[in-house]
Amino acid sequence: MTALERAAPESVTELSDLVAGCDAVERKILIVGGNTLNGMGFPPERADLTIETRRIAGTASYEPSDLTLAVKCGTAIQALAASLAPHGQFVPFDAPRPQYATVGGTLSSGWLGPRRHLYGRPRDYVIGTTVVLADGTIARAGGMVVKNVAGYDMSRLYVGSFGTLGILAQANLKTLVAPQHSRVFLARLPEGTRSRAFAHVASLRIQPAAAFWIDGFDLTVDGDDGDDGRVLILLEGSAALLERATRDLRSALGGAGVPETRIVDAGARESFQRTVDAYVATLGERSVTYRIFAFPERSEAIVRSISERARHFGLRCEAIVDLMNGDVIARVSDADALALGAKIEAFDDGLHEIQPGAQVIASEHPHRQYLRVWGQVPASIERMRALKLRFDPHRTLNPGRFVGGI
Amino acid sequence: MPVEGGVVISFARMNRILALDVRNRRAHVQPGVINLDVSKHAAESDLFFAPDPSSQKISTIGGNIATNAGGPHCLSYGTTVNHVLGLEIVDEHGEVFTTDLDGPGYDLTAAMVGSEGTLGIVTSAWVRLLQLPETVRVWLAAFGDVDSASAAVSAIVAAGIVPTALEMMDAVITRAVEAAFHAGYPTDAAAVLLIENAGFADDMDACEAAVEAIAKDHGAISWRTAAGAVERDALWAGRKGAAGATGRIAPNYYTQDVCVPRSKLPQALRAVDAATTAHGIVVGNVFHAGDGNLHPLLMYDKRNLKQVAAVVESGNAILQAAIDLGGTISGEHGIGFEKREAMTQVYSTADLATMARVRDVFDPTRALNPEKIFPRGTRCPEVAPPADPTARSA
Ligand SMILES: Cc1cc2nc3c(=O)[nH]c(=O)nc-3n(C[C@H](O)[C@H](O)[C@H](O)COP(=O)(O)OP(=O)(O)OC[C@H]3O[C@@H](n4cnc5c(N)ncnc54)[C@H](O)[C@@H]3O)c2cc1C
Repeated sequence: MTALERAAPESVTELSDLVAGCDAVERKILIVGGNTLNGMGFPPERADLTIETRRIAGTASYEPSDLTLAVKCGTAIQALAASLAPHGQFVPFDAPRPQYATVGGTLSSGWLGPRRHLYGRPRDYVIGTTVVLADGTIARAGGMVVKNVAGYDMSRLYVGSFGTLGILAQANLKTLVAPQHSRVFLARLPEGTRSRAFAHVASLRIQPAAAFWIDGFDLTVDGDDGDDGRVLILLEGSAALLERATRDLRSALGGAGVPETRIVDAGARESFQRTVDAYVATLGERSVTYRIFAFPERSEAIVRSISERARHFGLRCEAIVDLMNGDVIARVSDADALALGAKIEAFDDGLHEIQPGAQVIASEHPHRQYLRVWGQVPASIERMRALKLRFDPHRTLNPGRFVGGI
Repeated sequence: MPVEGGVVISFARMNRILALDVRNRRAHVQPGVINLDVSKHAAESDLFFAPDPSSQKISTIGGNIATNAGGPHCLSYGTTVNHVLGLEIVDEHGEVFTTDLDGPGYDLTAAMVGSEGTLGIVTSAWVRLLQLPETVRVWLAAFGDVDSASAAVSAIVAAGIVPTALEMMDAVITRAVEAAFHAGYPTDAAAVLLIENAGFADDMDACEAAVEAIAKDHGAISWRTAAGAVERDALWAGRKGAAGATGRIAPNYYTQDVCVPRSKLPQALRAVDAATTAHGIVVGNVFHAGDGNLHPLLMYDKRNLKQVAAVVESGNAILQAAIDLGGTISGEHGIGFEKREAMTQVYSTADLATMARVRDVFDPTRALNPEKIFPRGTRCPEVAPPADPTARSA
């Protein structure tokens, strides 16, 4: 859902004026970045004005020798990567569809990508922010230094707040030195090898930058499934490290009964990115994708129970398991939107009985609005509501989209 | 210390490690647990707790969380906030609530960490543990002047090398440390860099060659690799005991804590020198150079009121210099009572009022650590300028 009236301000002051104007007359604002995660969260309970952030874009300042950069929120993740790459730097945000996803949207949604076990969470790269609050206040937090404990950590609070506390106008980021080499491993898993493959990959001394077990997602994600699906593993680091990691990985997979692996060096990063893109890839209106955060040791059992549930409902279930972090991505689908619509609410109820935390991260099906898209309501919801009330008393920003209808 | 009276709550008896979950690399701890004890306990399982403030033998997890403590190794591992997975908090009414980093909703964990006890009292924490590195190497580079050492630090960072720790000590400090600990630092150098890299053996030689080349390019007068664990530990013990060792120089020291962009380190150190020389104060620098986080130790005798005043003056001059260089007034020790008036030098009224909104939600009556962080006159919702900006104590 979007409002008919749209605005795309070009500056923070213009944004602030717009927001203050709406707040004063109780008009509701829907905030849109690259629209790549519009399958997350509830639809807004009302939207009188859609504010697009894409024109507040570009690098505000970049000091490669400090490994810090200030970027405006409407900047696409890929554009951000392109300005860092010539200096051999990057930020490990791992956003799906980075050509469209914006810095503001990726941070506000609290997106968590597959390399976070190695490089940390996006929030941990944010050293300062400029936000526009519901009353139009332009507030800054943090700065351009990598350590800062002057006052509350407002920046991390805005990250993951889904635009309901304020609109992120600028983020100051810490950057990282890009790994020298990337290499992807692809392997089909023969029958009965899955559990051991999971365990062997998890116990590697040199941790892969990302490791996925995949079942389905043909054509979207590289490789072909064996009887037990397939694995796609990304190694990153120096040439010397990769050489050793390659040997270790081969013997780990061999020990799990996986006879053959294919190595992709040219195009490894793209292959990894296609897997991340698949997290939010829909099958038109005939699919719903769930995400579950779990400990790695539990993820295999979770996938199994979700597939069984799906089979029970006559739904197809495809899955991606992030073996390093434990995240389970499950895409359930049916032959057409009508068939899915007849089952999805009952499936959603059943799924939440076994996986109360399951969140919807992608779907174009109209029934999405009836699903428990955020999973179970968190224990501290009343304090979260109080925070919303103190920051946005008129419920001007993204009303109803967040957890518990915040 | 309760500035205006009140109740002091001590966590000395809530000092248990409640659970160690080796498989999922996390520990559940009470706030009174000593930082170092977590790593000692976890080491049996090849794990450690990364935040390592130099006070780690005496500081507690509760205090680390409340100040978002750093330490030498947060250069590559990040500060305490990166290592807290969830908290149990008691609010001003005595009600208990929890935060969960992986749960949906606002990141209340981040709001609590670094809030200096003003948003709630931490009664337990789930913390992340990391796997102990397979190889650790420590290097010592000595320089004939402070400027060259700080330029070398900026150059190492600019070259895209982020070692696990990159610390600097000047001659005042190394001499005090050597007198106290015989840790192995050269006493004839104007400044030394203590550099550690932890990780995989395969990458060590390349890292060593790159850092050594930069150090020598910047005029290092000596370069040494610590021979083994015993030598490494001695160097680290000296570094972490540095503040205490200054007792030989003066009866008291005041630690300033500021952070600047890393390329500004040479200017920042010159400003420290100017600010202390102007007031006739002896200064020793021992700090987290790789992060741009300075800790000038200003030596004085608290019985000498003129010296006390001089320390306050030069401390303030250092704050201002850090701000002028695009830095901040605290990198890791926090604002507390002492620096609260200086908050208006880095934040606008609107910025502070935004922080106060968070306080309004979690501690509306200002019952918790009432005199910390916010400048006087900032009871909600308005934030007024400080009533008496000159009243600041060291
Ligand atoms: C020699 C020396 C070296 C130091 N080196 C470093 C360093 O390298 N890095 C660094 O970051 N700091 C350093 N510090 C500063 C300090 O030791 C740390 O900030 C440490 O985290 C404080 O822990 P503590 O247990 O001593 O807390 P305290 O000093 O007792 O308390 C600190 C703050 O936390 C609050 N607090 C304590 N417990 C709780 C709780 N359970 N719930 C809510 N609030 C609570 C207190 O009210 C207070 O505001 C150093 C200090 C010294 C003296």
